[in-house]
Amino acid sequence: MPEGKKLGRVVLTNTSRVMYPELNLTKLDVVEYYLRIAPHILRHLGNRALVLQRFPDGVSAPGFYEKDAPGGTPAWVHLYRHHSVSARRDLHYIVCDSPDTLIWLANLAAIELNIPLARLDDPESPDLLLFDIDPEPPAGFREGVTVALALREMLADLGLVSFVKTSGKKGLHVVIPLAGGYRFSHTRNFVHAVGSLLARESPLVVSELSQTHDPGKVFIDYLQNSAWKTMIAPYSLRATGTATVSAPVSWEDLSRGIDPGDFTLQTFRAEDADPWMDLYTSTQRLPEVGK
Amino acid sequence: MKQDAAMKQDAAGAERSSRRAFWTGAISIGLVNIPVRLTVLVKDHTIQFHLLHKEDGQPVRYERVCTRDNEVVPWEEIVRGYEVREGEFIVLEKEEIDAVRPESDRRIRIDRFITVLSVDPVYYDRTYLLLPDGPADAYALLRETFRTMGRAGIGRITLRTKEYPVLVREYQDSLILTTLHYPDEVIDPGQIEVLSAIRIPGKKELALAEKIVSDLSGEFEIGDYHDTYRERIEALIQSKMAGTTYHVEKPKAAEVRDLMSALEETLAQLKAERASAKGSE
Repeated sequence: MPEGKKLGRVVLTNTSRVMYPELNLTKLDVVEYYLRIAPHILRHLGNRALVLQRFPDGVSAPGFYEKDAPGGTPAWVHLYRHHSVSARRDLHYIVCDSPDTLIWLANLAAIELNIPLARLDDPESPDLLLFDIDPEPPAGFREGVTVALALREMLADLGLVSFVKTSGKKGLHVVIPLAGGYRFSHTRNFVHAVGSLLARESPLVVSELSQTHDPGKVFIDYLQNSAWKTMIAPYSLRATGTATVSAPVSWEDLSRGIDPGDFTLQTFRAEDADPWMDLYTSTQRLPEVGK
Repeated sequence: MKQDAAMKQDAAGAERSSRRAFWTGAISIGLVNIPVRLTVLVKDHTIQFHLLHKEDGQPVRYERVCTRDNEVVPWEEIVRGYEVREGEFIVLEKEEIDAVRPESDRRIRIDRFITVLSVDPVYYDRTYLLLPDGPADAYALLRETFRTMGRAGIGRITLRTKEYPVLVREYQDSLILTTLHYPDEVIDPGQIEVLSAIRIPGKKELALAEKIVSDLSGEFEIGDYHDTYRERIEALIQSKMAGTTYHVEKPKAAEVRDLMSALEETLAQLKAERASAKGSE
């Protein structure tokens, strides 16, 4: 694919710029990855605001977050205007609802794509509930898996079906698709309460913000369950040396033992079955309690 | 200015604590009694921390728990035991202990007068301020005698339930009392092998060391020393109070606690239902 070539509606630039120096992967590899994975990832991006993390000089240089669509955004890219109280101005979030936009983002070196836990038709009402499982060294992915499996069991006991993905680093994300009508205060409190229950059962688990850095513990972060806060999108690349992906996995594979390093830009194939295929058809209500 | 304020505060503090005498009685020298009260002279400025529960920021308390059944034991059910052999105790009843306890007779009995320097400072335990309790004539007389003669009184006092040897002496226009350690509380360095094996240094080495010491000789200036750890902690506390970058722990919302117990109940119910469903199969 030569320089300056048009791919769909996007004119590719600097395609040979190295993005992952350890593996010598270029921006073209990133574009090809996102194109390949488009059917899987677009399901999760289509109706959500997008927060980019761009790495114009590759993953070994510091990147930057971007909420507001950059100057020069083509007119055909869909934007969502939202007044940010903290930024005291209107932000124009990018909505990635087509392969063209995905390619355009890849061309911007937007390696990490982050999504809020609510859709744009009601950004204050979560359609996903997130347990962000974050091991603190010396605890690592293995300890994270132990906690994720215990969490899955507790959720199952409460009658809830959950989905899991690797964060692409050492953590895991356990997600429950929700029926409509919830507020983030509901999901945040629910995740906090379940995390606290697990912490009571397992000395490995901590559920409070102040314990985030307790060495060797696994923190169940509830705070991402807030309007306009984001998680790394399923199938998004991560800015790691080995070009890992935040990979949806089946609970069976997880309990059998996987390595988050197995899921990378190079290994992910579009024809692989999607363990999150049923995510949006499995919407659930949280158990009614204490009424 | 700041120092002035601090000094004023200290003076006010001294006034307040002087009102809070924790012992009143008399110095008795033979048949002479000098009425005095005992107040704090030395204040510990170590910063006190409270122990809080990390999860919700609430203070924790100690509880006496039976090591066998882990039940909390109320004070009424607690007796004092003395370990005679490992894991083997004899029990002493409160009445038995009280019977042998020294009675505080509200006297500081002075046995003899000595030169202040004849008491090695290793015996010093805690020092208190003696203030006249009533007319100050006798107090002033003793103070002036100590000052002019460079002498101090040695005797005994019973504070709460313990009898101490004490040194009573003059200090900056006042009389002070220092409780002393008993001889068996202070280790005899002569018994320590490492020390007895040390060789005596040679003349040359000694001359050099003496020179260094005389070069660094000076006056005792306790004001040169500061508790820098305390100062850093205070600075840390100040910056936290100013609300800078430090994370302030919020108590866990009542909602979350309620939700936790509700979820727990739900889990227990569901498990019970499942168990009974299995049982009826």
